[in-house]
Amino acid sequence: MNKSKKLVASISTLLIRRRISHPSSSTLRCNPLAAISTNPQTDLNPVKTLAVSIRRLQFSGRAFSSESSDKRISSVCWNCGFSSDKAAFLFCDSCRSIQPVDDSVNYFQIFGLENKYELEGGSLEGKYKDWQKKLHPDLVHNKSQKERDYAADQSAKVTEACRTLTKRLSRAMYIMKLNGKNINEEETVTDPTLLMEMMELREAIAEADDSKELNQIQSQVQENLKQWSDSFADNFESQRFDEAVKCIRRMTYYEKACEEIVKKL
Amino acid sequence: MMLRQAAKKALGLTSRQSTPWSVGISRSYHENVIDHYDNPRNVGSFDKNDPSIGTGLVGAPACGDVMKLQIKVDEKTGQIVDARFKTFGCGSAIASSSVATEWVKGKAMEEVLTIKNTEIAKHLSLPPVKLHCSMLAEDAIKAAVKDYKEKRLKTNGVGESSQA
Repeated sequence: MNKSKKLVASISTLLIRRRISHPSSSTLRCNPLAAISTNPQTDLNPVKTLAVSIRRLQFSGRAFSSESSDKRISSVCWNCGFSSDKAAFLFCDSCRSIQPVDDSVNYFQIFGLENKYELEGGSLEGKYKDWQKKLHPDLVHNKSQKERDYAADQSAKVTEACRTLTKRLSRAMYIMKLNGKNINEEETVTDPTLLMEMMELREAIAEADDSKELNQIQSQVQENLKQWSDSFADNFESQRFDEAVKCIRRMTYYEKACEEIVKKL
Repeated sequence: MMLRQAAKKALGLTSRQSTPWSVGISRSYHENVIDHYDNPRNVGSFDKNDPSIGTGLVGAPACGDVMKLQIKVDEKTGQIVDARFKTFGCGSAIASSSVATEWVKGKAMEEVLTIKNTEIAKHLSLPPVKLHCSMLAEDAIKAAVKDYKEKRLKTNGVGESSQA
């Protein structure tokens, strides 16, 4: 029993090394062996363990995979060899060492949020600070160089995730992307009503003389943003993706107007 | 004019000394762009409802830019005699539309439809990330011509074909 476990462990170490030097997702996909559980606590026959792990993998592939459905998510800790059927974000569950960035983990997962557009108020901020307490480059002195490098990458990813999810527009675009709906940014907008409105808005901003006027315009624009954001949520939930894209377009324009106002203020 | 001032402030171009910028730094604006900035040609508006005016209004979805390009057409000859533009966007977008207004003047409508964004981009040495600005200018020209033609059809009635 021990010998086969050792064999299994050495195979997974080999695979780990390969995985780390080729961090592309294709390695994951063609390596069902990476799922071999080396959890010392299980007393199962290795073959049975392998079968169980693969089945668990396939199941979790569907539950956790946010991108293509045939992408297997598994992770093997580089330090202790512990393998998990869910993508290890950040820490190995077994030895608590910091893991390299796994691209299959989406931003919602990082913050423990459901994969939907609406967010509660303070949910991001608290979690963000928690993660940074563990990850920030200034706080990981006592770890190995490798872990410090991973921590730096993870920290950057968390910051990026927070930034994307905080702003409504970027969150909307991200969630569309996650669902495979890519927004065509090349196509020129020709909707006359929308463009006229935006033209007038930008003209008003350019002509506004004092900060009072600008603030007024800004609050109006913020309100419009909120309104279209709600409209997006509605369209997205109901799978009316064309309408959702229109909402995103409007939001982009309003955001740009806000930026201009801020520059002027 | 406010647009220009605001735009200048936004770009940080307060003086005409562009040489220190362009030497060795790859992300500076080309002197043609700066020229269109400091001396914008044809900024303004025509009366939209004037039958000899075609108005093209286009927007870039990615950056939230808006571009309006208007042409004044001589009804007899079908030549574009004047043009104006108003653009809210980056320096490249403003320069592209300015170039567009210059290039359409004195040309026939069919001819301006052949103006390609690549020519505008080349004239301004636009970097790849700003190519969509020149595309927007090309679309604006086409939209203006289309608008004029549609207006003519409406005023002349359905029966008569006015191939201007």
